Amino acid sequence: MAGTAAGGRRRSRVAPYAMVLPAVAYLGVFFVYPLWSLLRTSLSRNSGSVFLPTLEFDWAWSNYGDAFTDFRDQIVRSFVYAGLATAICIALAYPLAYVIAFKSGRYRNLLLGLVILPFFVTFLVRTLAWKTILADDGWVVSALDTVGLLPREGRLLSTSWGVVGGLVYNFLPFMVLPLYVSLEKIDPRLLEAAGDLYSTSWRGFRKVVVPLSMPGVIAGSLLVFIPASGDFVNAQYLGGTQNTMIGNVIQKQFLVVKDYPAAAALSFVLMAIILAAVLAYTRALGTDDLV
Amino acid sequence: MAGNRPITRHLIDPRARARLSRAARVPDPSRRHFLGRGAAGAAAVAVLGPSFVAACGGDDGDSAGSGGGGGEGRLRVSNWPFYIDETFVSDFEAASGLSVSYKEDFNDNEEWFAKVKDSLDAGQDIGSDLVVPSEFMVARLIRLGWLDELDDANIPNKVNLRTDLLDSTIDAQRKYSAPYMSGMVGLAYNSSATGRDITSVEDLWDPAFSGRVSLFSDAQDGLGMVMLSLGDDPADPSTEAVQRAADKVAEEKDRGQIRRFTGNDYADDLASGNVAIAQAYSGDIVQLQADNPDLQFVVPEAGGTTFVDAMVIPTTTRNKAGAEQWIDFVYDRANYAKLIAYVQYVPVLSDMTADLQAVDPEVAANPLVNPPQEILDKLSIWPALTDEQDAEYTTIYADVTGE
Repeated sequence: MAGTAAGGRRRSRVAPYAMVLPAVAYLGVFFVYPLWSLLRTSLSRNSGSVFLPTLEFDWAWSNYGDAFTDFRDQIVRSFVYAGLATAICIALAYPLAYVIAFKSGRYRNLLLGLVILPFFVTFLVRTLAWKTILADDGWVVSALDTVGLLPREGRLLSTSWGVVGGLVYNFLPFMVLPLYVSLEKIDPRLLEAAGDLYSTSWRGFRKVVVPLSMPGVIAGSLLVFIPASGDFVNAQYLGGTQNTMIGNVIQKQFLVVKDYPAAAALSFVLMAIILAAVLAYTRALGTDDLV
Repeated sequence: MAGNRPITRHLIDPRARARLSRAARVPDPSRRHFLGRGAAGAAAVAVLGPSFVAACGGDDGDSAGSGGGGGEGRLRVSNWPFYIDETFVSDFEAASGLSVSYKEDFNDNEEWFAKVKDSLDAGQDIGSDLVVPSEFMVARLIRLGWLDELDDANIPNKVNLRTDLLDSTIDAQRKYSAPYMSGMVGLAYNSSATGRDITSVEDLWDPAFSGRVSLFSDAQDGLGMVMLSLGDDPADPSTEAVQRAADKVAEEKDRGQIRRFTGNDYADDLASGNVAIAQAYSGDIVQLQADNPDLQFVVPEAGGTTFVDAMVIPTTTRNKAGAEQWIDFVYDRANYAKLIAYVQYVPVLSDMTADLQAVDPEVAANPLVNPPQEILDKLSIWPALTDEQDAEYTTIYADVTGE
């Protein structure tokens, strides 16, 4: 960047700011301001009439305590489900991305196309389709029953497995794509070099491919874990009465109970836990030397 | 497992398919696929988004596009999905000379309220000149002063209204609201799944149906019959009675008896056999029976509740006279008979038997559309609740439904 041509020097100082301005303005209006207002709401108290309450800002930290104690089950459950879904996504997506990146030859674009094909159908329709596929008297359930793999409830819908399965299905492409990108960047000559140094192919995979694909694993995990923790659609349609997630609680608090301070506090609790989890995760897998 | 349920049949929702064929103006002999107020509509809106439904529903209206202003020649109506006869809008347009933008975007009372309350409070247009909320919501809107008073001079057909609905505790003499449809909240069951007749709320808690029972998440529709089964009457509710019923539901939920708390989306699980017994709305089941004769609807022995959805004109309306014309057109006996024959709920006009017989004798003879006195005697109706009661009961039950 130091070597820019003299004529471009002045312009380039302003241009970057001009280029980020639209996005910053957009996020300022539609992200930062709502976030600020949500934060105020979460520290307010309802007063006035029941259905047209006025929110009074009151440093009401108790909203946070209440949110955590009242809905601890759902909070814990959300992160367990999201964590499980992320782990299963990695297990499913890694081999797939590996094959697409290294072994697919001329079918590469076709396979990538197939990975994103489900996006052409609405999220909700895909989830509802699962209700048909996993119906109690459908073939999936009876096949699992035959081999004795059915959860103890004797069904898949309205169980934890229904919800986790739906999360995995809906977010799998978000794992495959970043994994593919980071695997595809790996220079095959590194593997050849490992072989030349008498490494077995398994060891070469472990010592070369896995570390170099870590940025993809991390990016994919974030793209799956974060939206999965806040998801409410899968729990609503594929879950039962004992599988509600924090997203369902927030939705109900906002739209049915209309306790905005409680809902806002819950949203911030969710956000804080996600942030902490993400920081811990990226720390643990440390990508500094790779990016 | 047996291959008697070809999976392809379910890949496209039958009602969505019928809906599409209707949009394409292909005659569909089994139009009773459509659920009136309920389930299919909810699913379609959830799946396709209100704009899609509105766009499809607009094959007989909405010619002027959506979102535009109101005004003299134009009337904007928001109703529940699949809650109207297919030629009704065009018939009304022809009779009135108004152009109607008919939207099926009213899908849930509380969610609708959450969406429009700030606008109504500020006196801003909500995009509708006439809406059809349920009565408890009507009561709330009246108390908040957000409804225009109806001018009876513009609604001469109001004389046809059932007198029991006219003497309402929610809106005496119906100054602000015009009932649209009534219906029963009872139990629907799939007799091939239950293997026996279902008669009472206690059957819901039968361990034989563990995990195959669904309840409404709405406090009034969900708890009403449970209160009746415990000897309490929702017509005269108390916090203790509501709490007792909610505790009973919580106990069954913890046992794993209850599969889901549903909104209007209960019918899919019922039709596919995932759920054996569901709390249900009468009209939905009448329509589903056409496809699935195993489905039955009963008012539980200890009693069920009844609901009324009513047409109201928000103070922000841009065409009050047009909205009143619409109400009058609905209250015309011949028009209303066609509506009932299509949506299959309980009429709000008095003595509809002869008019229904003229349109469809089968509907006229159906006890769920034209309930005999012994069924009517078992039905209880929630009174107008105060804001505090309304919010309290909603919160008590929301704690149980866990969402």
